[in-house]
Amino acid sequence: MSIYKIPVGPQHPAIKEAFQFNFELDGEIIVNVKPRLGFVHRGIEKGMELRSWVQGIYLSERICGICNVPHTTCYCIAVEKLHDVDVPKRAQYLRIIINELNRIHSHLLWLGVLGMELGFLTFYMYVWRDRERVMDLVELISGNRVTPSMNFIGGVVYDITPKMEMAIKKGMDYLEERTKYYKSVVLNEPTIKVRTENIGVLNKSAATDLCAVGPVARASDLKTDVRFDDPYSSYDEIPFNLVTYSYCDVFARVLVRVDEVLESINIIRECLDKLPSGPIMKKLKRTPPPGEFTVRVEAPRGELMYYVKSDGKENPYRVKIRTPTLANIPAVCEMLKGYHIADIPAIIASIDPCYCCTERMLFIDKARNKRWIWSHSQLRKYSLEWYENGGRR
Amino acid sequence: MTTISREEFILKELKFAFNDKILESRIAAPRYVYVTVNKETVIPLVKFLKENFGLRHIVTITGTDFGEYIELIYHLAIYGRTLMVNVKTKVPKDDPEIESIVKLLPGATLYEREVHDLLGVVFTGHPNLERLILPDDWPEGVYPLRKDWKMEGM
Amino acid sequence: MVSIIGWSRIRSPWILYMCTGACNACDIEVLAALTPRFDVERFGILLKGSPRHADVLVVTGAVTRQVAPRLKRIYEQMPNPKFVIAAGTCATSGGVYWGCYNVLGGIDKVIPVDVYIPGCPVHPQAVIQGVAKLLAKLQEAK
Repeated sequence: MSIYKIPVGPQHPAIKEAFQFNFELDGEIIVNVKPRLGFVHRGIEKGMELRSWVQGIYLSERICGICNVPHTTCYCIAVEKLHDVDVPKRAQYLRIIINELNRIHSHLLWLGVLGMELGFLTFYMYVWRDRERVMDLVELISGNRVTPSMNFIGGVVYDITPKMEMAIKKGMDYLEERTKYYKSVVLNEPTIKVRTENIGVLNKSAATDLCAVGPVARASDLKTDVRFDDPYSSYDEIPFNLVTYSYCDVFARVLVRVDEVLESINIIRECLDKLPSGPIMKKLKRTPPPGEFTVRVEAPRGELMYYVKSDGKENPYRVKIRTPTLANIPAVCEMLKGYHIADIPAIIASIDPCYCCTERMLFIDKARNKRWIWSHSQLRKYSLEWYENGGRR
Repeated sequence: MTTISREEFILKELKFAFNDKILESRIAAPRYVYVTVNKETVIPLVKFLKENFGLRHIVTITGTDFGEYIELIYHLAIYGRTLMVNVKTKVPKDDPEIESIVKLLPGATLYEREVHDLLGVVFTGHPNLERLILPDDWPEGVYPLRKDWKMEGM
Repeated sequence: MVSIIGWSRIRSPWILYMCTGACNACDIEVLAALTPRFDVERFGILLKGSPRHADVLVVTGAVTRQVAPRLKRIYEQMPNPKFVIAAGTCATSGGVYWGCYNVLGGIDKVIPVDVYIPGCPVHPQAVIQGVAKLLAKLQEAK
């Protein structure tokens, strides 16, 4: 049995939690996986204790640049609960709109990256070109393409004018047409199907025991979504569908995310139609009273939780954050078992760890006393060649 | 006949099963309840929720340093993850040990490692309490989330 | 001969990209610079996978302690002449993480930097301008 060590450094674009995996193999099949995190650990929870409540919003926004909106939403709702207030209705609807725009951008980003991992670069370029439409809309509302900084303690900072509403609706029509096209590509393109069907299977019982969240759980037939289970910010007033698939493989995770983009487009349209008038911000005291609260929101990757404790001072006493990718790591370790090395990029990418995070692989073949090193692009090249030469035929 | 909410029902059942072992309890908001117990009661309580309320999901474990003790909060979700039961307990700082719940909830494995890494709590019975997120060259026995640890040079 | 090499180096700098503990916003904006809307490839810029093939190292992120030796190693593996672009406020100075315990600060604490591109996150157009400034610097050095 040879042992693969994958020392991971984010030399590959964009990683929230770059991790190191130690693989144990039998021949070329993965038998066991052990994770080691920490490359992107920045000490944010301690940092929050050293900053004021308002500064905390901007720090929480930069925990993950891709899903920054759910982070600020969750933090702001938690602090607002400490103040024991509900923000104005218009602000809640605007929060839904910006959260769903963020979900669309994140899922399209992921779809493009999956294309890149599978060697389907054309697909990646097309999807990212269309994703720019979402960035334009976010920039229209807030002035920043990626981090709108729209949430504040007490409401939202930017409002949507009727002209912006028209632009958003037009954008949604365009994105719906393009997403339906990408769905047909995913359903019919053999390149994608052979690399994702029956790969990385995580059955329903394993997903439940390992506490998987988000699209990973929903692709294993778990009907769980915080927007349904524990509605926040008026999500219970907007009708939409909970997307689940029962195939439990990478292909199901692709379909869940594509369908969620279509659902998000409908949610945004509903919100714009029902958008109530009124103020967008409730002025609150700078320091919340002593207390503690736990809040969950549905980030694009799954259930995100913030626990906030105040002792009445200017800085929080404790902020605890649990991001969805951390919850999915035991699940990904389980999903990798029994599959070939060539499937590693697709399986790891399928949990959407912001990006696939393998940098270099150190291979140690104890039996033959050999060592060699591969880079991520060499692993990807190996995967593509393995599949071109017949794969598991 | 008066109907009671799910939150009231769960607290009533817990009080009935554990009597005065439930030191404190409150309904914080719809779908969020808090109960405080001694550290020995955590495992029986988790078992009780698993057997009677379908508990399979743990959101995370929060550790907070309060000087003489470290407070642990187990954030659990029951009823198909729609209701959160936050179980609070304390461990003394000079002997921060508590039994691991990994056998009951395998999803808790990384959360216990994280609390161990950043606060120094020892979860006895955990299969692999290795370093999780601090760098390899971080000194042993130094726990950054403790209040008495301050970063030098800043 | 030297001037031909210099000319070709300016015409098509090959980029190696590295993230050292960022939130990913700069990373996706640097990647977006390669996609059809901004299309930095029309300037001859190619993204490479290995340090041995690259002229320019683009780094994002405030350097975490775990990643710092890796960054240094990647820099040393690049052949001379090599240039470094620090993309984003975090890579420049530590940004919003200044004071957090696992963060060293800007990347110039670890390796020398030629061009700094501010922004949180950096705009793809700013990335293109940063690369153009680097090319101008190379041109002058010629």
